[in-house]
Amino acid sequence: MDNRLNTKHIVACHLCDALYDKPHLKQGQTAKCNRCGSTLVERKVDSINRSFYWSIAGIILLAPGILLPIIGVTLAKQYHHASLLDCVVVLIERGFFMIATLLFLFAIAVPVVRLFGAFYISFSFKYNRLKPSMLNFFRAYHHLDNWAMLNVFMLGIVVSMYKLLDDTELTINLGLFSFTLFLITSTMASTTLDQDYIWDKLEREFIDDDS
Amino acid sequence: MSSLMTTAKQNGLGLCPKCHKVNKIESEPQQCSRCHGWFYPRKRNSIQYTLAWNIAALLSFIPANLYPIMIIYSLGIGDESTILSGIGQFVDQGLYPIAVIIFTASIIVPLVKIAGLFLLVYKVQTGVRLKPDKHSKLYHVLEFLGPWSMLDVFVVALLVAVVELGIITSVAAGPAINYFTLTVIFTMIAANSFDPRLLWDKKEINDDMFKGKQ
Ligand SMILES: [Zn+2]
Repeated sequence: MDNRLNTKHIVACHLCDALYDKPHLKQGQTAKCNRCGSTLVERKVDSINRSFYWSIAGIILLAPGILLPIIGVTLAKQYHHASLLDCVVVLIERGFFMIATLLFLFAIAVPVVRLFGAFYISFSFKYNRLKPSMLNFFRAYHHLDNWAMLNVFMLGIVVSMYKLLDDTELTINLGLFSFTLFLITSTMASTTLDQDYIWDKLEREFIDDDS
Repeated sequence: MSSLMTTAKQNGLGLCPKCHKVNKIESEPQQCSRCHGWFYPRKRNSIQYTLAWNIAALLSFIPANLYPIMIIYSLGIGDESTILSGIGQFVDQGLYPIAVIIFTASIIVPLVKIAGLFLLVYKVQTGVRLKPDKHSKLYHVLEFLGPWSMLDVFVVALLVAVVELGIITSVAAGPAINYFTLTVIFTMIAANSFDPRLLWDKKEINDDMFKGKQ
C-alpha cells in the first residue's frame, strides 16, 4: 500500500518516464527534467484570473473577427471582399469539402470552443462553482491542445496577399485585425491555464482517497 | 528536487497522458484515478502505427507534387501550377522571401518530418549508440513542425475564396490540394503515434550494462 500513498508525491517525465519527488513550486517557477530537459511541472502566475480576462476579451472579438471582411480585392475597378465565413461557403460551393471543413475547424470551430472552454473553466474556479462534471470537461478540453494551427493560417493570409499583389489591389480589412486579436486571445486564454493546479484542486475536491 | 533515478515503468507506475497523474499500473489499460481516462503505460503498437502513417504520408506526397495545386484562369485560358512551379514563379518575380517560406513549409518541412520519424523508429529498433536526449529534442521539433505545412493549403483556399468574388481572373484549387492535406494529416498522426519514452527504455538497458562493467 506504500505505492498508493507515494503516487501523490511523485511526478514522472512525460517524455522520458523518469520519476521525481513532486517539487514544491512557487508561482512562476518551472521544474525541468534532469535527464531529457523537458518541462516537468510549471506553476503559472495568477493563472485563473488571467485566463478569465483573456477569454472575456476573446468572446468580445469573436463576432467581428469571423463576420467582418478580412481581405478585399479591387479587380477591374470593382471592389470585392470576403470574410472568413465567406471563404468557407465559397469553398463548399466549389466542391472542396475537405479544405472547407479544415478551414472551418482550424480557423473557427477550434478557437471558439477553446475560448468558451477556458471561460467556463476559469469562471468556475474564480467563483468556486465546481461540479464533479468538471473532471470530464477538463479532460476533454485538453484534446484541443493539439489543434492549434492558427498561426499557420495567419501566415497563409499574408502570403496569399503577396500572390495577388501582381495585378490586383489588395486591402486588409478591419476583420483581419479583429480576427488576429481573436486568435491571440483564444490562445492566451488556454495557455495561461495551469493544468497541474487545476487537476490538483479537482482531485482534492471530488476524489476521496479511501477508494 | 530529488531524482529517484528510476522510471515510472520500472516501478510498476505509469503517467496518465491526459492529466499527468502518476498511477499504479494494475491492469492494461489502466484507468486513471484522477481523470478516469483509460491509458497504457506506453502507447500501444507505437512503432507499427508510426511506420504505417509515415508511409501513407510519403505516398500521398507524390501526387501532391505532381498534380496542380492551383489553376489560374485569365481570358478563359487555364494556367496550372504545381507546388514547385508556383515557387518558381515567385523566384522569377523576385519575391524571394515568399518563395523561401512556401518552399520551406510545403517541401522541406514535410520531408524533414517524414525522414525524422523514420530515423526515430529506426533508433528505437536498433538502439545503436543512442543519444536519447538528442532524439527527444528531435521529437519535440517534429511535433512542433506539424501544422506548418498547411501553409500552402490555406493560401490556395483563401485565394480561391477571395478571387472567386472577382470577375476577370479566377482561381481554382487543383487536385493536389487534397493530397497535400492528406500528407499533412498523416504526418501529424504519425508523430502523435510515436512514443518518445521508447527511446529511453533502450537507454536504461545500455546504462545498466555500463554500470555492470564498472
Ligand atoms: Zn525527462
